[in-house]
Order: sequence, then C-alpha cells, then structure tokens
Amino acid sequence: MRNSLTPVALPVLAIAAALLVFGVMVAFAGVNPLEVWTLLFQGAFGSWFAWQNTLQRAAPLMLTALCVAIPARAGLVIIGGEGALVLGGLACAVVARSVPLPDGMVGSVVVCVAGALAGALWIALAGWLRQFRGINETISSLLLAYIAIGFFKHLVEGPMRDPASLNKPATNSLSEGLRIGGIAGSEVHWGLVLGVVACVVLGIWLRWSASGFAIRVVGGNLRTAQLVGLPASQLVIVACALGGACAGLAGAVEVAAVHTNANASLIAFYGYAGILVSFIARHNPIAIIPVAILFGGFGAAGSLLQRRLGLPDASVLVLQGIAFVFILASEALRDVDWKALRAKLAQLAGPAPQAPAPSPVPEGNTP
Amino acid sequence: MTPDQWIALFAGIVGGALRVGTPFLFVSLGECLTEKSGRINLGLEGVLVLSAMAAFAGAYLGESAWIGVLCGALAGGLLAALHGVLCSLPRVNDVATGIALMLLGTGLAFYLGKPFIQPQAPQIPALELGGWSSSPAVQSALQINMLLPLGLALAVLLWWGFTRTRWGLLVRMAGDSANAARALGYSINGIRILATTVGGMIAGLGGASLTLFYPGSWNEGISSGQGLIAVALVIFARWSPLRCIGAAALFGGAGAIGPALQSVGVGWGYHLFNTVPYVLTLLILVLTCKPGSVAQGSPGELSSR
Amino acid sequence: MSFSHLIPPVKPATGALTLETYELTKRFGSFTAMDSVTMKVEPGTVHALLGENGAGKSTLVKCVAGFQRAEEGSIMIDGREQDIANPVIARALGIGMVYQHFTLAPGMTVAENLLLAADKVPFLVDWKAKRAELQAFLATTPFSLNLDACPADLAAGEKQKLELLKQLYLKPRLLILDEPTSVLTPQEADEVLGHIRDFARRGECTVIIITHKFREVMAYADAVTVLRKGKAVHHCRVADTTPALLALAMMGESASTADSEQKVPAAQVVPVQAAPDSIANSSTPALQVDDLHALGDRGTLAVQALSLRVMGGEILGVAGVSGNGQRELVEALVGQRTRLSGTVRVMGQPYQATRQENRALKVRSLPEEPLRNACVGDLSVAENMALRDFDQAPLAVGGVLRFPTWRARARAWIAEYGIKTQGETAPIRSLSGGNVQRAVLARELAGDINVLIAANPVFGLDFAAVAEIHSRLRKVRGRGAGVLLISEDLDELLELADRIVVMSEGRIVFETTAAAADRHVLGAHMGGGAHGEEHSIVEKAAA
Repeated sequence: MRNSLTPVALPVLAIAAALLVFGVMVAFAGVNPLEVWTLLFQGAFGSWFAWQNTLQRAAPLMLTALCVAIPARAGLVIIGGEGALVLGGLACAVVARSVPLPDGMVGSVVVCVAGALAGALWIALAGWLRQFRGINETISSLLLAYIAIGFFKHLVEGPMRDPASLNKPATNSLSEGLRIGGIAGSEVHWGLVLGVVACVVLGIWLRWSASGFAIRVVGGNLRTAQLVGLPASQLVIVACALGGACAGLAGAVEVAAVHTNANASLIAFYGYAGILVSFIARHNPIAIIPVAILFGGFGAAGSLLQRRLGLPDASVLVLQGIAFVFILASEALRDVDWKALRAKLAQLAGPAPQAPAPSPVPEGNTP
Repeated sequence: MTPDQWIALFAGIVGGALRVGTPFLFVSLGECLTEKSGRINLGLEGVLVLSAMAAFAGAYLGESAWIGVLCGALAGGLLAALHGVLCSLPRVNDVATGIALMLLGTGLAFYLGKPFIQPQAPQIPALELGGWSSSPAVQSALQINMLLPLGLALAVLLWWGFTRTRWGLLVRMAGDSANAARALGYSINGIRILATTVGGMIAGLGGASLTLFYPGSWNEGISSGQGLIAVALVIFARWSPLRCIGAAALFGGAGAIGPALQSVGVGWGYHLFNTVPYVLTLLILVLTCKPGSVAQGSPGELSSR
Repeated sequence: MSFSHLIPPVKPATGALTLETYELTKRFGSFTAMDSVTMKVEPGTVHALLGENGAGKSTLVKCVAGFQRAEEGSIMIDGREQDIANPVIARALGIGMVYQHFTLAPGMTVAENLLLAADKVPFLVDWKAKRAELQAFLATTPFSLNLDACPADLAAGEKQKLELLKQLYLKPRLLILDEPTSVLTPQEADEVLGHIRDFARRGECTVIIITHKFREVMAYADAVTVLRKGKAVHHCRVADTTPALLALAMMGESASTADSEQKVPAAQVVPVQAAPDSIANSSTPALQVDDLHALGDRGTLAVQALSLRVMGGEILGVAGVSGNGQRELVEALVGQRTRLSGTVRVMGQPYQATRQENRALKVRSLPEEPLRNACVGDLSVAENMALRDFDQAPLAVGGVLRFPTWRARARAWIAEYGIKTQGETAPIRSLSGGNVQRAVLARELAGDINVLIAANPVFGLDFAAVAEIHSRLRKVRGRGAGVLLISEDLDELLELADRIVVMSEGRIVFETTAAAADRHVLGAHMGGGAHGEEHSIVEKAAA
C-alpha cells in the first residue's frame, strides 16, 4: 500500500467502521441496521430536498471547521468556534438594527463583515492570551465560548429583544433587503458559496503564499520560527483572527439567511461539529469541503431517522462521536509500515528465510 | 432589599457553594488524579453528563439512590478508560481525544437518556445541618449532599496517598517524568490508564450528585461546562487535592449567584451572572499563568505539549 | 533457545561479577548495529568501552542491561549463560545502568527518587524509617545530597551524582555508566570516577564505562575494549596501551583527531591561512553583549549580568559545564527567549533578532539539537533550507512562493555539502543527525556573514562530520565573521577558539586567550571554584 494513499484511506475506513458500530448500536435498540444506513444515505443525499438540507448544514460547518483548522496550522487547538459564531450572529443583528444600511448585496456584505469582525476579535483574544499570558488556548477558547453564549442570551432576552417576540426571545428581524437568499431560487443560500470560497482561498493561501508558509512554520516548530526571526506571536494572532472571522461569518450568515434574526436556536452546536470536521480533514481547508458535506448529510439524516425510526436525534451526535474516536485511533495506524507487517506475518506462516548462523545457543526473539 | 432578603441571598450563595460545589469537587479531584499522572482529560464534560444519566437511570431502575451512584461511577470510569486507552496509542493527541469523548459521552447520554427525562428517581438523602436556624432559606441552604463528606474524605485520602503510598508515588512519577518511570521498568501507559479510569470514576460521583441530589432530575441541560471548568480548577488549585476543596467551594458559590438572585426576585442579568464561573476561571488563569515558564507544582509531563 | 528456566534458581550471589559475551549480534532491519562481539570483563575491574558514535557501544550495553535482545550470541554472568530479556531480569542479576540522559523525576524530592529506585517499594511508606535508612546509605558514599531538594533545583553535576546514587542504592554487581562525566567539571569527574574505581577495587562491583575521553580511560580504567562499526576490534589492558594506539584502533586507517592531550593536527582538516589577529580590523565588535539577563524555565535567572564581545575574524569559545545557562544564553540571543534586560549589538547596531535584522546585519545561528531547534521536522529538506529567505526573490515573487527555485537550490546544496538524503523533497526528520546538521549548515552559511552563533555544533556526530564542520567554522572565521562558539567539549574549544571565556551559573567568570589556556584552570572556573561554597552540596574529600 503506497503511503500516499494512507491519509485518505484511513479516515474513510474509520468512518466506515463508525457506521458499522452505529449500526450495531441501533440493532440493540431493535432497529434494523440496514434500514438505518439506507435512511442515513437517503436523508443526506437521496433527493434534491435532502441535498438542500445537507448543503444548508454544510455551509456553516465549513466555516466553523476553518475556525479550528487555521489556528491548528499555526500550532493551536482552538475549540471555541461556537462562541465566535454566536457573537457573529449577534453582531449581524445588532448592526442591521442600529445602522442604516442600503438594501441589496452591499447591506448584506456589511452585516457579514460585522459578524466576521466580531468572531475574529473573540478568537484573536484567545490567541493573545496564549502568546502573552501563557494560557492554554483550548481551555481559554472554550471558556470564552461559554462567556459569549451567556452574553448573547442576556442581550437577546434583554436589551436587544424584539418586543414582538414573546414566546421565543429574539432580536428584531433583518429587513428583507439585507437577507441572504437562496442560490437560483433554491433553499440553499449563498452562504454555501462563501464557505467553499473561504476554504479554497485559505487553502491556497496556506500552501502558496509567503505568509501562509510562515504560519505553517510557526505551527510546525515554534522554536525554529523564532530562530529565523518570524514574528511568531503576531502570526498566531493573525491565524486566530482568520479562524474567528470564518466562524463569525458563519453566525452572520445563519442569521441573515436562515433565522433572519438572532435567537437561541443559533446555538446549534455547529461550532463543536466543526471541530470534528477539521480533525477528520486533518486541518486542510480544501479537504474540509467534502468532509463538511458528509457531516452536513449526517445532520440532515438525523431528523429523518427520528421521524421514520423513532431514534432520538442525539443518535447522530453519537455517530459523530464514534466517528471522531475512530479517526483519532486510526492516526495511530498511520505510521505502520504495512510492507514490513505483511513480511512479518508471512514469516510467521512459512519457513525461516535464512540458514541459522553457527552459534552455540542461538538467542533472540522469534520473528 | 430587606435584611431577610440579604440573608436569603447570602444563604443562597452559601447553599449554592455547597450544592454546586459538590460536583465541582468530585470532577476536579478526578481530573487532579488524571493530571498528576501526566495526562489531561478534556472529556470530563462527557464523563460528567454520561455518568449523570447513568446514575439517574441506575437509581430509577434499581429503585435506590446508591445503586445509581454506583452506576454513575462505573459509567464515568468506563468512558475515562476509553480516553486512557486511546491516548496511550502512538500519535494520538490528548486534547483531541478529550474533545471526541466530550461529544461521544454527551451524545450517548442524550441518546440513551431519552426515556428518563420525565420520571423521578430516588434521591440521595440529605444531611440537615441547618436545624439551628429559624430561617427557611438558611435551612435549605445547609441541606448538604451525603456525598459531600465522602468527597472531602476522598480529597484528604488523595493528598495523603500522593506522598505516603506506593501508588501515589508512582502516579506522581509517571506524571513528572516518563523517562524516570520507564527507566525503572514501570509501564507508563498502565499507570496513566489506571489513573485516568479512577479519575473518571471519581468524576462519575460528581455526575451522580447532579441528577440524584441537585438539581435532582435528568435533562439535556444538566451540565454546562462544569467538566471543562474542572480543568481550570485543577490549575487554580495547583494540583493539590486539598486546595481543590477550596477551589470547588469558590466556584460553586460563584455559579450560585445567578439563581440566588433570582430566588430573591432579582431577575436582571441572570445569564450574565451565570458567566461568573467562566470569567472567574479566566481571570485566575490570567493571574497564575506566565508565558514560557512552568506553573509551580505542575506535573512535568503535562507541559510537554 | 535457552534452557536456564529448567535449572533451579541459584541463591542470589553478591559481590562483583564476571561478564562475558560471545559473538553477540544485534540487527535493526538490514543494519547491523553489533557484529559478533566477544569480550570478557574481569570481576572487580573498571572496563572502558571506547568507540565513536554509532560504533555499537550503546547497543552492547543495552543488550547486557536488558533493554534490547541480541539476535545471536550469548551473554554469560559468572560463567553461566543468561537470557536477559528485560530490565527486570537484569536488575535481579544485579546489573544496573546509569544513563546519559537523566531519569530523575524533577518535581519529586531526592528521597522520593531514591525510594522509587529501590527494588521493592512498600505499599505504605514509613518516611521516618526510610529517611534514616537513606541517610545511612548516603554516609557510605563520598557525596551527600539534601534529601528534600528536588532535582529541578539541582545543578547538572548533582543530578548526575543522584543518578549514580540511585544505582548504588541497589548494591549492583555490575554497574554500567554511559558517558558519566559529560556534565561534570573535571574535578567532579575525577571525584566520581575515583569513587567508582575504589568501589570496584574493593570487589563489590564490576564497572563498565562508555566514554570517548582517553584521559579518563588511562587514569581510571583497568582494561579497554574498542568498538568500530559494530565489531570489537581491540582488547587490551590500560597498562599496555597509549592514547595514540587507542585512537588508531578507534579510527582504523585515518589518523586520530580526538587526542586532546597531544593536540595531533588532523590530516583532513584544511589549514586556515590567516592568523587569528590579522583579520580583526575595525574596532566595532561583530557581536557585543552587555549586562544580559534572562530567566530560565523555572522562573529563576539563568543568565545574569552577562557581557561578552566577539570581534570580526575571531572565534570566541564559551566553555562551561552543561546547565550553567548556555542554552538560555543562545536562546536569548537568537530570539527564542525574552531578554529581561541588557543590550545586544551586532556591528554596533541594536539587535533584537527580528527577521529584518538577521538579514541586514547578517546574523546566523547553529543551535544545538538542530532537528529540535532549527528545523521543522515535517517539512521537506528543500523547505527547511528556504526558511531564512522564503519571503524574498527569487524564492517568492509577489508574495507567491516559487517551489521549483527552492528545490533547485536545495539540490545544489545537497551536492555541495554531501548531504545523504532520498531527495530534496524528503521530510527532514528522515535524515540522520549528521545530515540534518549539514543541511542546517548549508542554509546558515550561505552568503555573507557577520556573526555566527554556534552551540555544540558537533554533538553526537561521527569524526568525519566533526572534522568537516570544524573546517567550515574556520572558513567562516577566515571570511571575517565573528563566531561565538558555545561548547561543552573543552577539547573542541581548545582546538578551534582564539579566545576562551568560561560561563558558570549564568555569568562569565574567566577569560583567556587560547594560547594561554590551561585545562585545569578552566576546569576550576567551570566548577564555580572561583566563588565560594556551592548550594546544597557538601563535598567530602575525594577518597
């Protein structure tokens, strides 16, 4: 097996294994695994309706995955994308309400930029805390996420609340002109394009640009980056800001395209699923595109599983968790030298290949 | 606010410190043990939620709170053992595994716990310490969880064990220098897996206390980051089990401000007050961490990331 | 297969043992690390293992100590063959090993470290009794350490003594020491080796020492085995040999360059024409450090009020025992560690180790452990070679990287420096240590240089690589650069440097020209002999 195949084969195998285990699990609940797998596929990719659902979910996933991937290339593990997302959505709603904006694309762009900015600042804070205060960014980004969510809930239910929203607190809705519509009249909004473009642009930037390479050096070995004079702290914060901008953009798009206002259903765990997507894609922005679509499909299928088979919608969460565990375990297999392993197994089966060297009492391990 | 309301508020915070602090104590003790052995377990959030559900299910199905506590501990231990085994594989990232387990544990708990959201399960009996007061607020504040004395005893046991028993010394050595332990022929992975599993069982007790005492029922919002805060708590307590007690009390109190205010009729800023534990944690991290240098008392192997 | 498990166990013996190996062979895949090594170590003697890096010394002792198993051949203890399958069996036989790298738990106390090293750690520890026992044990050795100190606070020499104590506590019958004096001052080295020799001579233990220092072999060992390329090529008693003969055996055909006592000029080193002081022209020092302070990893000052000056066209050697702030000094100079206070100037200009300054003032560096400090392991050789200038033409145009240019240049450098690699696109971590260092050299020595900061540049490399790197350093000096050479190998400094300063406890404590340098004076300053008593160690007079 050529080594270049392994990076692709292993995640695929891991996901297949996860599906298998999931099937076994639901079998215990009295459900036919084959039905589950079929429904998963149907719910994700089986019809145009399913595809739309999938792509709608894939869009924010791509962006929140970038929030993990870009800082990861700089050597950080940021898991607070959820916080950046809600702040992005909040910023979008707030700006739409407080600032007079022209209708049409310009207005939409402005609110999206506002969302991206909010997200960028929040994650950049986590980066700053790491570089200048030595605080582990995983913990700090998660704490910041919880703080952001608390802040969000406070504002949405309090000062920014739309008086007309009684049962479910929400901010004022965006005016029609600012909302992001579907592509060519479909349900799939332009946010998908934003997600794909962001992935492609950032992927190219990381690989082909000097600043992208500098970030990779910082992520590869901080000491070496310092040795060659790269401004490591600045680069780390830039990486965080870029990742946060993506997550913030996701929030803004969710508000502008899906919910039309900022409310508690914005907190839909896209941030955490994004972590999973990024790890599976091994933090490669281009690879994030197909993986996000796959996991968007899982999410879309979840509601179908609930309706048809009565499985709780948390089952998709379980599938994701199992998949993540298998992906991580498969990392351990990445370095296995398959040729040598096969040779060893063959040796066990057949006769020893060389004549034993003359020695009084041959010592040593059995091959 | 009238004096009665002040007393009620104060009692509410103290009560909160005791009630909310109990799960904090268990989870931080569990993480303390795990980190002393050189491994970080970010999946405690998943462990907490899963063991909370398991405890509730066990108590409901077994019709006894103590069976539930046992189930909670077992579930916590199992999930943590998975973390330990995964992390012992080469090239597997501690942090990523923790997040995976967070998702898996939460997902499993929600998936398996759907049937248990409505029913009531037998609760852990309370120790009434507030009999001397006439104020109902104080009385309710001082109803403490029977698991709390167990937790305090556990903290003392861990503190004592780390310097006086073979196992405690081995755990510290595995966490301080993998080289040293390996050179003496000990299996690092074995020690760490064991420490992580036992840590998970201890954290499971915290989960049990959530669903079987306070708030006393199972639902999907039972935990909001307590597992993660525990990691910061342990840093705050500088890896000493005794200091974990104080840290847990502090955080429990901070987390109780919101609900306590609500109970005296002050509804403003409920969500903001709920962010106090997180803000406090962040503040403490800012004050105690310095870039580039190792925190005093930290196990050597933890900072090798 | 060995049948020793059928023979009833013999009562454990005490006292020094006899070690013999017969045609011991160990292979790693297709590479034979140890080839039919046959040797005998008499009981109660100190036996030295000489050989350059990669000769098989470590492999041999690892097989004896149970960390590896040989494919062929056998090991005999006291005339009986033993299958030493793991370190636990080795320990049961009385074999103990002291490593080059510390195996101490830095955050636990000396008492706890010693206790854990014992054979059986009790389930419940009675500290009062144990402490008394440990104190009694310490009294039998010429060293004493504070039982409550932590290795994190001990100096490197004390840590090495603690490592030794850990093994001595177990009353070994065979003690293997791997480069035991690499972190000790010459005086400490004499003390430790003297104690070990007495221990052996008393018949309590047999000792095997791995070393590359002829001086120690001649002074303390009774017999020598020389290994070369996995084979045992020479056995003799120390009384019957000389350093020159040993060097010949070690190197085979090529002449020795490592004999420090005689300073034999190596044949393959290209002699540098210019005499040291003829290059130094202007009065502006190439590198000027004034009153530098930097913190160490544990929050204490590692570099204190350090000042030094390197002129263009000279090599300034910084001598010192490892752990006295050299690593922190280099890190503070090249930008890997923040400077608390003090100034650093290159060619008179302030130097903060930014990328622009590195370029404008032409500062390069060769840190120690190049794979860890100067490379990105996952990136390819070509990418690593481009780290200094990837953002400039012709490697990047308009911010876009031009990889073919990188690869072409890398191929040229690979040819010029003789780097053995599968190709310029191979990840740099697949290269051996010497080749990684060559790759880093190629990158750092390109173009004009004003200042070169080198730290232990030849650590762990074979003799050919050492000679080559030394000659390149001399060439750099010949082109007018100022070279700051920090090394833990006094011999290297005596051979290369024009001036030598000694660094101890974060300060420069002594300075001399190379011509006037005296090894013993330097050694005294390295041990901090110049200022009063040492922390937490009370030395009894060497036995």
